[in-house]
Amino acid sequence: MSATVRAQRWRQLWWTWALMGVVVVAALALSIDTTPRTGTDDTRLYAIATELKCLQCVGESVAASQAPLAVQFRTEIDDQMRQGRTDDEILAFFSQRYGQEVLLSPPASGIGSLVWIVPVVAVAAAALWLGATFGRWRREIGARSTDADRDLVAEALRRREDESTEQPAGPGPGGT
Amino acid sequence: MNRALGLVGLLLSLGGCVIGVGVLLTGIRRNRPQLLRLGLPYALVALGGSVLSTFAMQRALSMRDYTVEFVFDHGSSATPLLFNVATMWSALEGSILLWGLILSGFTAAVALRFRQQLSDPLVAWALITMFVVGIFFTGLMLTAANPFRGVVPPPGYEGPGPNPLLQNHLLMAFHPPMLYLGYVGFTVPFAFAIAALATGRVGEGWLVETRRWTLLAWGFLTAGIVLGAWWSYEVLGWGGYWKWDPVENASFLPWLTGTAYLHSVMVQERRGMLRVWNLSLLCATFALTILGTFLTRSGVVESVHAFSSGNVGPILLGFFAVVVMVSVGLIGWRADQLRSSGRIDSPVSREGAFLANNILFAAFAFVVLLGTVFPLIVEALNGERLSVGVPFFSRMSMPIGFALLTLMAVAPVLPWRKGTGEVLRERLWWPAWGGVATLLLALAVGATGPTVLLAFALAGFAAGSAIRQLVLATRRQGWRGFVGRANGGMVVHLGTILVAVAFAASTSYIRSAEVTLAPGATATVAGHEVTYLGSRTVERDNRIELISEVRVDGDKIYQPRLNRYRMGGMTLGTPSVRVGPTEDVYLSVSSSPDPATGEVRIRVIVQPLVVWLWIGGMVMVGGTLLSLFPGRRRNPLAPTSAPLPSAASTEGETVG
Repeated sequence: MSATVRAQRWRQLWWTWALMGVVVVAALALSIDTTPRTGTDDTRLYAIATELKCLQCVGESVAASQAPLAVQFRTEIDDQMRQGRTDDEILAFFSQRYGQEVLLSPPASGIGSLVWIVPVVAVAAAALWLGATFGRWRREIGARSTDADRDLVAEALRRREDESTEQPAGPGPGGT
Repeated sequence: MNRALGLVGLLLSLGGCVIGVGVLLTGIRRNRPQLLRLGLPYALVALGGSVLSTFAMQRALSMRDYTVEFVFDHGSSATPLLFNVATMWSALEGSILLWGLILSGFTAAVALRFRQQLSDPLVAWALITMFVVGIFFTGLMLTAANPFRGVVPPPGYEGPGPNPLLQNHLLMAFHPPMLYLGYVGFTVPFAFAIAALATGRVGEGWLVETRRWTLLAWGFLTAGIVLGAWWSYEVLGWGGYWKWDPVENASFLPWLTGTAYLHSVMVQERRGMLRVWNLSLLCATFALTILGTFLTRSGVVESVHAFSSGNVGPILLGFFAVVVMVSVGLIGWRADQLRSSGRIDSPVSREGAFLANNILFAAFAFVVLLGTVFPLIVEALNGERLSVGVPFFSRMSMPIGFALLTLMAVAPVLPWRKGTGEVLRERLWWPAWGGVATLLLALAVGATGPTVLLAFALAGFAAGSAIRQLVLATRRQGWRGFVGRANGGMVVHLGTILVAVAFAASTSYIRSAEVTLAPGATATVAGHEVTYLGSRTVERDNRIELISEVRVDGDKIYQPRLNRYRMGGMTLGTPSVRVGPTEDVYLSVSSSPDPATGEVRIRVIVQPLVVWLWIGGMVMVGGTLLSLFPGRRRNPLAPTSAPLPSAASTEGETVG
């Protein structure tokens, strides 16, 4: 019994939770891979190809398609990787040559940026609205409990607990 | 013969629906219970008609009756039996036939389930709604998408067979019916929502009545989506399983709104709040299934799965518009009754968590819908052509996924009404350490990248919460701690977490290489030795298979194939996968052997944890089944802290 009580006290100590946070942050910091994405390996090639639309196909990326144009695109990506270009440079090359449509990620400027902005604005608006509703609800609750009220409740609960320990035969309060 | 049989079936089905609507409406207007009780026979007539027309189509397909245009276009003398059956849903007309069959099946099931309450106007209105949807789809089959249109075949005609992609794997026989059971299943709660609005009985009764139906539809939809992903993985040959394609999005959208509903409905049951929101979610889920069908069947959005197109687009769009207008109109009309008096005491509570859940799921659905239709909108606005694909959806869904995982960790332990920091610290202690342990374990096995690791940590946290709830429930109730909505829901959570982890790991740690190998040569890809042994050709009725034998890690032999279909001359690769608990090795042949050197090009893709996607999907479906069992539920009027009643006294009251 006293062991569980002690364990429960541990859970309430702020620094045990802070410790948890420190461990998480340290572990995440350890995991940061700083090696830049260069080189000519196939995995990188396909990562870039996933960003490009296969203009010859129906709804497929350059990575997923076996169409001649997709194969040609992949050869082009491979060449550019060998020349030491970065991912962004390669993508810019394709969008200059084949137009905006080739990029599967819409641009962050012009009308295409709306697809990024609108959801963020919508979620922010919904969160604000929900927050305002909670605020209204809180103000509407006229009666507020005072410390004296809370003492009364605590007293009643303590009495009930005492009773249930004295009479173990009765069903204890359920719930988690 | 088959055509006549099919048309008779369709007309029978249409007749059952039309007369059913007429009789039930008259019964409601004149208040005649005996007329309302006729709902069941008319539902059975409609079902009989659908069964008859489906039978006619299957008969035509198996007889290779090329006088039926659908068989002329999609059947073939060389298609094997199973795929011949599945040919029905490989193209538009046949898939609408399947839709109609499942719809009339659900209508009849509703009529049978509520046969004691048929004279209740609420049930009558629900049946009317289902009949009207039935009229729409049967009408579609009798006009724009007629599966039994006739044609005169030239002598010796053999038929092209279904799209080779669709006859390349067994899963194709199961994935579409599952998906359709999910789509169409959502018609039932939608119908009851409309019925509640029409009768003005917007109280909580109809929610309890349709709870299981919604869960069932959701389970089928989940199974259908997972099977579809599995099919992509096993067939398409690029190692992926989900690419945010419009057709995939079309199935994901109702899943998202349906999931949101399954959570927020609990707030309504408990607190009588969110009525408008829940009705809107149900209507949106149904409308999105129609919109999804429109998007993928009309050809407005290009998609690799859009296996057919026709002139059904405007009709489906019109029906979608009608559904939306009727829903919005009815909700507006009943606005006064829908206003709820309740309020939520604190955002840190179970209700608050469900609200946050709903915002996230609604946002997710909005992002997916916007991304799917955005190219259309932009082109309509200023003629600019741009694309929205995987990178957009991945970037947008990642923060939502993180937020959902966090919520999945915190929400299950939150009490109703108001939670305190003390309670949270007490209950989240072990789950939080579960998250930390998962993170350290991932680091120890060499996982890199803070975002993926954060996903793992949150997944561990969420899994900890779900397991905590299950442990507490089984301690209290024994095996019953796994059944019922709350406990089954935790099992579904565990399945979802498995899927999330597998998704994060397999997309982040994918490694691949394309190797050119002569017979006997070996290459090493991501630590796996791949040896090409040689190729052979096998002739089948419908295709010629070029089978390459590849040994992986000096162990078993795998046989990726190139299938050349006789009809149309299309060549498709069938990959072969070494499935493992930690890592899949995916082999896909991209060229036939070089005539001079005998070399083939093989793409080798190594992805960790992929198999857990399918396992996670199965756990989700299993959890849904557990949720369908009646669990022990509190008396809704009893205070939250009241003890659970004993098993015997609850058995009867939780049915429904």
